[in-house]
Formats: sequence, C-alpha cells, structure tokens
Amino acid sequence: MREIARDLLESGQVNLVIGYGRGTGILRTTPVFIRKPSDAGQLVYNPLCGNNLVKYLLDQRNKEGRAAVCVKGCDSRAVNRLIQDRQIDREKVYIIGLPCGGILDPDRVEGAVDPGEEIKETVISGEGYDLITAAGKYSFTMAGAGSEKCSTCQNHNPVVYDVMAGDPSDTPDIKDDGFDDVRKIEEMTVEQKSAYWDRQFSRCLRCYACRNSCTACSCRECVFDQVNTGWVSRSSNLSENTAFHLIRAFHVAGRCVDCGECERVCPVGIPLRVLNRKILMDLKDLFNTATPGLTPDGERVLGQFSADDPEEFM
Amino acid sequence: MGNCKCDNPYLPYPATIKEVIDETVDVKSFQMVFDDPEVMESFKQQPGQVAQISIFGVGEATISITSSPTRKGILEFSVKKVGQLTAALHDLGPGSRVGVRGPYGNHFPYEIMKGRDLLFVGGGIGLAPLRSLIDFVLAGENRKEFGKVEIIYGARSVDDLCFKYDILDNWPKYDNTDVYVTIDRADMAWQGHVGFVPSYLEEVKPSPLNKYAITCGPPIMIKFVLQALNKMGFQDGQIITTLEMKMKCGIGKCGRCNIGSKFVCLDGPVFTLSQLKELPPEF
Amino acid sequence: MEKLFISRDSLKKLLDRLARNLNLVAPVKDPEGIIMFGPVADAGQVLLEYQNSTLPPKSFFFPQTERLFKFSYGQEGMALEDMCGSDKRVLFGVHPCDLKSILSLDPVFAGAYKDPYYINKRENSAIIGLACSNPSPGCFCATFGFGPDDGEGSDIMLTPSGKGFDADVLTDKGQEIVASYKDLFEKAGDSPRIAGETRLTVKKLDLTGIKELLDGNFELEYWNQVFEKCLGCGICTYVCPTCHCFDIYDSSKGGCDGERYRSWDSCMFTHFTMMAGGHNPRPSKKERVRNRFMHKLKYHIDRYGLAGCVGCGRCVKSCPVNIDIRRIISDLGEVSRNGQL
Repeated sequence: MREIARDLLESGQVNLVIGYGRGTGILRTTPVFIRKPSDAGQLVYNPLCGNNLVKYLLDQRNKEGRAAVCVKGCDSRAVNRLIQDRQIDREKVYIIGLPCGGILDPDRVEGAVDPGEEIKETVISGEGYDLITAAGKYSFTMAGAGSEKCSTCQNHNPVVYDVMAGDPSDTPDIKDDGFDDVRKIEEMTVEQKSAYWDRQFSRCLRCYACRNSCTACSCRECVFDQVNTGWVSRSSNLSENTAFHLIRAFHVAGRCVDCGECERVCPVGIPLRVLNRKILMDLKDLFNTATPGLTPDGERVLGQFSADDPEEFM
Repeated sequence: MGNCKCDNPYLPYPATIKEVIDETVDVKSFQMVFDDPEVMESFKQQPGQVAQISIFGVGEATISITSSPTRKGILEFSVKKVGQLTAALHDLGPGSRVGVRGPYGNHFPYEIMKGRDLLFVGGGIGLAPLRSLIDFVLAGENRKEFGKVEIIYGARSVDDLCFKYDILDNWPKYDNTDVYVTIDRADMAWQGHVGFVPSYLEEVKPSPLNKYAITCGPPIMIKFVLQALNKMGFQDGQIITTLEMKMKCGIGKCGRCNIGSKFVCLDGPVFTLSQLKELPPEF
Repeated sequence: MEKLFISRDSLKKLLDRLARNLNLVAPVKDPEGIIMFGPVADAGQVLLEYQNSTLPPKSFFFPQTERLFKFSYGQEGMALEDMCGSDKRVLFGVHPCDLKSILSLDPVFAGAYKDPYYINKRENSAIIGLACSNPSPGCFCATFGFGPDDGEGSDIMLTPSGKGFDADVLTDKGQEIVASYKDLFEKAGDSPRIAGETRLTVKKLDLTGIKELLDGNFELEYWNQVFEKCLGCGICTYVCPTCHCFDIYDSSKGGCDGERYRSWDSCMFTHFTMMAGGHNPRPSKKERVRNRFMHKLKYHIDRYGLAGCVGCGRCVKSCPVNIDIRRIISDLGEVSRNGQL
C-alpha cells in the first residue's frame, strides 16, 4: 500500500492519497492525506481502520487533479454510488483496494489491551487477528471483538478498484443476509418498538456526525441546516430528533451502501444502521435489488424511470 | 420551573414602530418607541452602541442604533434587507410591535475626540453607525466641543445613498462641517463626484493633524480606506472603525462573535486600528 | 472544612432519601450500556464507580434545549413570560474534571450580564463530588494541575476509603445536606484514601510554551495538518464539559403567541458564523478547527484566567476521525520548541 502510494505520487498519476495513518494509541487509526511520496510511510492498514474514507472524495469534487483513496469492501460500494450520482468523476479518482477480513470494534477491544501501545504487526489468525505490540501478542476473534456490521459482510474485497494492495481476502462473503437485526426489532410489539426507539432518539445530540460521515449525504446544503425555512427546528427533543432520523433514513433510501459509518461515529450509541437496513431489506424484498453500489452501473431503485413499471397503485 | 422576577438580560422590552423611512430600495429606517415610558427614559445608549431587535416568532438580530442619544424619546435603526429577520422587519409598518434589548457593546470614544477634528468615511449602509456619532457631535452645545467635521460618504449609485436628507441638506448647513458625497458609477441624475470612496478620500486628502478618522462600510471598502489613511499619515491609534460579526445573545455568552479572545458584542464593535492589529485577522 | 465518613450502606440510604426529598441526578447506565447523568428514583441505579459519562453533567445547568420565555400579543400589547426559574436539585457523583469544568463555565454565565437560567440552576443545585478511581485511557486531567481526587467545585467530596467513602464537607450547601442526614455520617477514620493511587496513573501532558506559541501565532502551518480530516460534526463541542456556545431562535405556530428557545450550537458547524449577508469570517474547516483549539488552549484562559479544557477525554473518545486534543497539545509543544513538527 505504501509502495503503491509512493509510486502514484512520484509518477504524478495522483496528487493526493487518502488513507489511514497511526492514531493515538492502539485502538485508533486516523485519516491521513498524503501529498509527498516521502510521506507514504505514514500509511497503515490494520483491523482498526474503521473509517469510510470515500466521504473525503466529496471535498475533492471541485479541486484540480486526481486523488487516490484507500477502500475496504464495504467502503468501495460508496465509490460506485457517488459515481452513479455524478458526485465524483471516475477519471478523477484512483482506487486502492484493501482486502478486509473484518474490522475490530474498539469498544470491544478496549478492555483487553494497554491503550498506550502501538500495533507493530497484524497477523490473520484463524477467525480473527493477532495484534503484535512491543509488549507481546493480543489475540482477538471476530466473533468476540469484531465490529457488528462485519458479521453480515458481503464484500470482503472491494467491488471496484484500480489496484489491490495485497492478496484478496479469502474470508467467505455472506450471500444471504438474513437481516436478523431488523427482524429482531420487527418482532417487537408496537409499544415495545416505540419505547425502544424513543429511548434511542432521546439520547440524540443532533451533532450530525451520522450525516457528516455518510457518503450518501452529498447535498451541498442539507435540509437540516435550513433552519430558517421551518422544516426542522434547532430544538433537540424526542419529536424533533425522531423526525431528523426518520427523514434522514428516507433521504438515503436506495443510496445507503450499508457501510455502517453512521452507527460507528454516533457518540451516544444509537443503532442507526438497523434503520437503514430496514429500508434496504424492504427494497430487496420489493424490487429484488442488490445492495446499492455493488456494481458500477447498478440500478437505482428510487432513482430511475422505467416505461414498463407496472404502476399497480395507479 | 416558574415565573421568576429576576433581572433577565434576554428579555426584550416591548416597543412599537412609529415611523418607517424608505432610505433606498433595500434600506429602511425604523423609528421605535418603548411601550413603557420608564424604559424609554432609562434606555441610555452611547453613539456606536448596538441593540437586539426582536420580531416575536421570527427571531432577533443585532442592529446598530443610528440615532444619537441627543435625540430623546425615540430610537432609530437603519436596516438593510439581507436576511430573514431584516426581511421580516421590512414588512412591518407603523404600529407594528417589536422587542428591543440593549444597549450593548462599547461606543465611539467621543471623550478623547473632544477638541479635535473628525473625519468620517462611510460607504453604503456603513453610514448608519457613524450617523449616531455625527448627530451627537453636531447637536446643540456639543458642536462647540469638537473641531472641524469632514464627512466622506459614497454608495454604488444615487439610489443607494442613505440619509440623503442629512448628507445633502442637514449636515452641510452646520458650521465648520464639510460633506463630500460620491457614487461608484456615473449617472445622468448625478452632478456630484463619481468614484470609489477610498480614491475620493485620497483626492480630498484631509490632513491627519489633530484628527480622528472614523470609518465603516463594506469590508473591501474598509480595507482600502485603512490603507489610504495610513498612506496619508494617519496613525493606527487615530483610526477608529466598527465591526460586524454574527451575534445571537449580545452579552458575551453564546460564543460566536469572538475575534481571538475578544467578543465583538462586549469588547466591540468599536475598535481602533491599533487594537484591531492586535487581533487575529479574521474580520 | 469538616472531614466525615459514610459507609456504603449509609450512602445508599442517603441517595434513597435524597431521591425522595429532592430531585436527585446521578450517573446511571441505560439498557444500551451508555452512561449518562439522569434523574434517579432509587439508589440501586446509581453508579458508584464509573468511567466518565458519555455527556458531562453541564446540561443540568445549561440544557441542550432551553425555553427562555413565552410571548403573546394581547389586547394590552405584548406580554412576555420569563421561564428562568429552577427547582432544587442534588447532583451526585460528579468527577473532579466535571467539577472543574463547571468552575470554568461559571464566569461565562456571570459577568456584567448575569445569565439567570444558568445561575438559578447553579444556585439551586448542590453537588456531591466523587473521586475517580478508574480513569479512562483518554483521561489527562493531571495536565491541568489537578487530579482524580480533587474536590474543588463540589459541596461534599466523596473519596473511596476503607468500607465506604471519606466525605469532605466543603461548603455551606454541603453542610446543610450533612445536617439534614446527620445519622448517616460518622467521623472520618484513618483508612487511606484509595484515589491517592489513581492520581499517579493519569496522564500529565506538558503544556510548556503552548500558550506563548498561540499568543504569538495565529497562523501556524500546523493547522493545515489537522483540519482536513475533520468531518465538521458537532461531537467534540457537544460532549465537551466547557463548551458553551448556543443559538437563540423563536418557535411559533403562527398567530399571536410562541416561545423563544436557546439550544447548544457548535463552532464546528458551517453556519455558526455565517452572517445574514452571506459573509463568513470562518469559511472553511481550517478556521473552525483552529478556533476550537485556540479557544480551549488560549482564548478561555485570556478571558477568564481558567483552562478551557479539563482533560476529561470525552472528545478524545468520541471524535470519529481521531482528532485528539492530547496529540494537538504534544504537537504544539513540539512546534513551540522546534518551530515545526
């Protein structure tokens, strides 16, 4: 990955490489923006690289030159989606594909490691990882410390890339997502569902991290920032917060690539992904469609017109 | 929670619009009177201070008080229609109910200006805050305390000149007071000077001796006026300006009008150029 | 100052009685495992040992959304109804960093224009502090000259000791509580205080030269290396115990009446400084990120003589892109020593 980045910058094929760098402590990595070949050594890749870096391509929309971005399988679907929406130009991005056997959840790893340490090496081991540090080896299984979203992963390798960094992951993709998380909530009674979501949404801070990290949120001006129009109030309370999340879920319907960033970034642990997955599940049931972004020219369920649409409701 | 009788700085005083003057196509002056005569009596603003005007149900905005404290019984605000609150205000006429709280911020340091000449340089709606000081200096007995007054004012076109009654009629009539007016582009209906304010300033070439220069206008005009004044020999301490920042509370709590460690609402809006140069270049 | 002791059993009784007689607010864990300060009905829910809550307790003085007043146009003109009153409350289990943060907020809401909403709640609240016996990996309170057992800012400070807690009664408000529940307190013994050891485990960063560097340099090449990854969300400001920015707006269903509110706002949002005419003095993420760290490490100190950061580690934990104020501090230290990173 470092070599690829160095070559790309040296040859002038790209003027920027967006990747992961060492974060503060073992639990974190941080997005880095590499512009000089000599800085390519800052790039790292390990099972704590959770961020979907594709979002940053939107910042490069109107800039000169071509940017390279490092993507995992789930992130790569967002590249396709943004190209389909004409938000980014395929010619202006260079995609460095990263194989992924699953991401570890920092909250589930936290107790087991000394947070001050640095990862020296990551070894894929059985159904998980060994993180090698100066102090020794920490072993984690995906079942015990993996990110929830990885248990239904359908793309352990990127669906679109210009170059792969390393051998593709041989972790089997999940072909038939049972949407167990969605069904668990669907099984609740109306009262239980209401109580459940009220508890979640009443914690919401309206910090908009879910929106700002979301690759489907590409509007120049978000409806929730148009406070003067009266569509939405600045007040943070259960009713406004509920409206915010439901409107957002519908705004990204058919465009959400199920990368799970919204849920990862939420500081108060709102299970946002299951909201989007409910819509994704219904889209799959109703239209027999693939997860958005799975293919470069994929259909856009809510974004295309077909003359032989049965229009049964008319 | 209940009704509390404490002194609450967030509560506006109910006021009523008495008169509306159309200054230009997008600037109107609003004369307001507090509904409670005691509040009217005790509201003591200084030239250059600002107030928060409320239209209940729409919101609040910080507006400079354009009337001089020497004018009793009324407050006047000249407002350009730029945002939501100002647009709503422009829809109001005499008799409409509003809220006013203040006065906030510091004021033009007229105490140190006494005995000196004054040069005012304004552009567009930027004359509004200066007008509170000009009228204060020219009013009655105050006039004797100050030396020569020069006013250089410009706008994009004849139609964009604010306070035409003052700049063309009232102010030139005062002793030892010169008013220079310019518009940016030539116009058949205009016999006067044509050109931008900073270059007109250099043409008029007022002497920096024993003088304070007070300026307000669009950011680009201020930038070039400050350069021109420096070039003509004005020292930074002789140059005074008044800043605009987005404000909400007006009382140093809500945190958005800071320039460095200073809050424009408490420590400004009036700054000398030497004070400004101490602050981060964010204005 | 009176030094007392309260056993774990007696503390449970105290909390039960406080919950019954006054409004008790304490750290609790919700079913999703999120730790928050919230109203408590019985002592069983209260956490006596916890790592910092996701949100600081500042919202009990400065709620995220607060009604300022009601307005109505009537026959006799405009009527305003002030909503700045407050009920009596006991805030239990506040860690030293959060105590310090309240002291950092006090002067913001005091001053020439006193903020009655904050001040009324502050005056009507008693605070029982709790020494922090298990600081989280992101904690760095020692940087700011105090430790996990400092009681400043509390009315009664509890520190684990033997089979209960030493209770230092620090103010008249604290004395009042003790007087009302005398039977539950005993004279302090000589068991060593457990929090003494945790003091040693908390990180202390070197602040040398940083304030001076920022005093002299608004433009620093360093900021170019920080801002680009910022997503522009409000997490760092909303989980921060010392951030105090807010917006004011009206809510009205049309007609003759409505309400004026204030809600937390964030200097990380694009609209924060956008003026009605469209000019924005902090137009990009760079200016906004710089403003936040300048505020924490310089402006708050300039204005109030108090640190704008208390080392609680909440933004460290919650920032989705790992913009870590501890790294900013160590990087700025490096810049001040070497002129660059």
